[in-house]
Amino acid sequence: MKIGKIVLAVALILGIGAVWGAQAQSQQPKEVVIGGIWPLTGPNAPTGVECTQGATLAMDIINGKYVKENLNLPLAKTEGLPNLGGAKIKVVFADHQNVPDKAMSEAERLITQEKVSALIGCYISGVTAPASQAAERRKVCFLDADAIAPTLVKRGFKYFFRVTQDDEIWFRDFMFTRFIPDVLKQKGGKIKNIAILNENTLWGTDAAKYGSEFAKKNGLNILTTIAYPARSTSLTSEVQKLKMVEKDTDMLLSACYTADGILFMKTFNEMDYNPPMIWNDGGYREPAFLEALGKKSDFILQRDEFAVDMGEKKPIVRAVNDLFRKRFGVDMNTNSSRNFMGVIALADAINRAGSTDSEAIRKALLATKIPSEQCICSWEGIEFDPTNGQNIKAVSLMLQVFDGKWRLVWPFDVAVKDLVYPIPKWSARK
Amino acid sequence: MLTPEIILQTLISGLLMGCIYALVAVGLCLIWGLMEIVNFAHGQFMMLAMFLAFWMYTLFGLDPLLSLPLGAIVLFIIGVATYHFIIKGMLHTTFFAQIFATFGLGVFLHSMAQFLWTANYRSIQNPVLSGRLAVGNIFVGFPQMAAAAMCILGFLFLYWLINKTEIGLALQAASEDREAASLMGINSNRIFALGWGIGSACVGVAGVLLTNFFYIFPEVGFTFALIAYVAVALGGFGSIVGSFLAGIIIGLVEAFSGLLIDPAFKYFSIYVLYMVVIFFRPQGLWGRY
Amino acid sequence: MGKEERSSMDPTKKNWRQVLFLSVVGIILLVFPHIFTLPFPQHIMIMIFLYATLAQAWNIVGGYAGQCSLGHAVYFGCGAYTSSLLLIHFGLSPWLGMLVGAGLAVGLSLIIGIPVFRLAGHYFAIATIAIGEMCQIGMVNWKGGGGANGLYLPILDEGFYNFEFHTTKVPYYYIALAIAAVTFYATHLIEKSWIGFYLRAIKGDLDASRSLGINVARYKSIGLAISAFFTAVAGTFYAQYVLFIDPESVLPLMLSVLISLVAILGGVASVWGPFLGALVLVPLSEFTRTYLGGGGKAIDLMIYGALIVIIARFQPEGLMGLLKKFR
Repeated sequence: MKIGKIVLAVALILGIGAVWGAQAQSQQPKEVVIGGIWPLTGPNAPTGVECTQGATLAMDIINGKYVKENLNLPLAKTEGLPNLGGAKIKVVFADHQNVPDKAMSEAERLITQEKVSALIGCYISGVTAPASQAAERRKVCFLDADAIAPTLVKRGFKYFFRVTQDDEIWFRDFMFTRFIPDVLKQKGGKIKNIAILNENTLWGTDAAKYGSEFAKKNGLNILTTIAYPARSTSLTSEVQKLKMVEKDTDMLLSACYTADGILFMKTFNEMDYNPPMIWNDGGYREPAFLEALGKKSDFILQRDEFAVDMGEKKPIVRAVNDLFRKRFGVDMNTNSSRNFMGVIALADAINRAGSTDSEAIRKALLATKIPSEQCICSWEGIEFDPTNGQNIKAVSLMLQVFDGKWRLVWPFDVAVKDLVYPIPKWSARK
Repeated sequence: MLTPEIILQTLISGLLMGCIYALVAVGLCLIWGLMEIVNFAHGQFMMLAMFLAFWMYTLFGLDPLLSLPLGAIVLFIIGVATYHFIIKGMLHTTFFAQIFATFGLGVFLHSMAQFLWTANYRSIQNPVLSGRLAVGNIFVGFPQMAAAAMCILGFLFLYWLINKTEIGLALQAASEDREAASLMGINSNRIFALGWGIGSACVGVAGVLLTNFFYIFPEVGFTFALIAYVAVALGGFGSIVGSFLAGIIIGLVEAFSGLLIDPAFKYFSIYVLYMVVIFFRPQGLWGRY
Repeated sequence: MGKEERSSMDPTKKNWRQVLFLSVVGIILLVFPHIFTLPFPQHIMIMIFLYATLAQAWNIVGGYAGQCSLGHAVYFGCGAYTSSLLLIHFGLSPWLGMLVGAGLAVGLSLIIGIPVFRLAGHYFAIATIAIGEMCQIGMVNWKGGGGANGLYLPILDEGFYNFEFHTTKVPYYYIALAIAAVTFYATHLIEKSWIGFYLRAIKGDLDASRSLGINVARYKSIGLAISAFFTAVAGTFYAQYVLFIDPESVLPLMLSVLISLVAILGGVASVWGPFLGALVLVPLSEFTRTYLGGGGKAIDLMIYGALIVIIARFQPEGLMGLLKKFR
């Protein structure tokens, strides 16, 4: 009884006090605030955390914590933003919990209460959409570093910018016209018939759609397209269906996330499924994937925009990754590196704008020209298409797993390891 | 092309997975049969058992097989504790409130798991039970086979316990008529706690067995629990044989609908099957009420 | 007909108290957005109204008739998708789309009622879960309805006709308030009417009701239909508010559970229960997430879950039950 009254009192006080508190302006020191909206709870939380880590390191570099390192990055040699009187950057994190209306409300809250000058997020395409829409409605710049769904840049938005490569552009201009021919030229063999495996949400569906569209345009034949519910309890029927066309399969084109990937590779091994090439559109980035599978993950090919191996030819990669590893205990990966570059790009634009005025920032973003040497990702630079905000210099790499590690295998001129194709059958691996 | 081999393979895979669903369902059914409370934290209990097996392996090198009894015991305790601290005081409240108490517990547990162990996916890399058996072109994974076998054994043990022992009879008596049972000297509190303990131990065993081939993370219990609820309803609330068989049926439907219809509609087919059965037999296939 | 409740107070005095109370609450709600001018508190109130509407609608069949539906998101999604698809493909005004969506939801409820009303208690609950899941899976795979990509509503000029506002949330606030008020009034009328009487009878004792000649099936259907209607209206509002919908956001099991949670924690079978439930649960979830959720440690959810357990365990009649004890 007593407890009940106390609980009710507490709940009502929380409710009222919280609503009141929401009205109170947060005291702001002289700094420029950027809002980052990521999945910090739920199944994508590991990725969300990686994004925040990338953003945090970028913030510290911009604010001058690593001036001594003399990094070849925008704003790394000064403390804070020089054109704004040395104002520091602060990245504020918000959790969207994979829920669109929460992403929207977080975007609005960050804009109106935390007074952010720009937003970055949200990793999941279906959540990035409403968040960036909220930003667009309020004319605040929104930078997308992860979500690759083509729809995001087709909305005619003026304040939306994306640094990562568009999935459609990848499939249209690279996958079948550069990557596959490169491999075949070097290794021989033929890739004519492909099987497509995709998880049933936004990203997987789009990847399968563009993958098959451009495969067909380039004369390839789709044997089967298998869409499955993400995080299924059992994937044997999916693998069965793949096995039914195994004899003719030259390549497995997949769009799967880590959890299902783990189960798939185990099932491939168990049911002896041996396509000559296994390619994933970039969902296997968490360390957990490699840890869980050990040698079973060998030879998987994945499209990525960052590889530690890049450090061999690009010193800035090694320098930043070392700092990251010292700070967080793990190497960077595509998630952390893209958001790192995202924050750098935003800060760079704000600095060039010389103010936190949205319109000025937008113009500055449109004028962005960050060269390749200053990008730790695999891009040829950062330059936004004025019609839709897409980074036209974004290109991807191909990584392949050897001995439980991702190694850079393509483009060949920056590769550190020889791409293996066709991959050995399970029985031939020991 | 659909060869007999493929059909057989699908059959076996479906059966093996079904046995796991079955044991989870049986645990749920036991608790329900006893006091008509659906444990909406059942999936989270399973998740706890899986993390237990993972940490035993990672910290002490204990193989999941050895963690099995540990999992059963720890989950038994958790079940009893849940009854004692939460359910006991709620026996006379509404059906609604009971649902939400366990639902809230579930939310708390999976958030606590994320808080303690992060949301990263974990795996047990080299369990003793690994590898597969290959007969021609039919492949059967050892972990799945062993898991299924142990689930069946677990179920048989439970069946014997419920129907052939005094404790079991006491459980049945208490579920039929609590007051009459207490008149006969059966301490209903103890019996209910026991029911919760045994039901939770079941899902604990299933969870540990799963770690031999499935990945572990805070929300891993959701889908398994959902399937378990449907299995219990399909089999009929109150019949553990019904729940067990329904679990296996669901495993088969999942495998075959994935193969013959479309993997995207695996779970859809399970729900359709459930609705069809329920339409003609509202109390489930073997249900009493 | 219905029995007049004996009140220990003079009826006129009670009426005055009620009118005063309602007026005070009404004035506070009407003035709120002009005192709290930032979008975040306004957003929270809008969410409170939305969930209060949903919980109230659920209450009609869940609280009053005792049928615990855990699949109400189906009607929400029906409203949201119908009006959005009509807007995108035919340019139909969302207001008309709202009515079409609500009508469709009513039809849907009649179809769903056929199999599920044969069931009771837990069987009923799980059947509603099954149907909810089937609908979500269906929408994910139906490309014509947007599939997994969802639907982006076109950004139109703001105004009441287009049901879109961009520079301020205040119109959304008043619309949500109006929808909630209408739903409340409807529930109040039902509670006092013979429909309410029959529903309560059905909840109290099904067999006795039947033996008294009450057409149980018909009244359950009516209850569900009304419930579906208001739930769908809320769905259209949501679509126009967020301007993006997908199966994950308007059809998930979690939403169904949340709707019933708000009603149950507030106190079922009472007109004010759902509002109380929403008043507590929505800010709780928003604020724990905002102030505690940034670290990825799920502390906010832990608190949320723990509080639900505590309230369910120590105050199962919900917050309304607690308030009644204060009187």
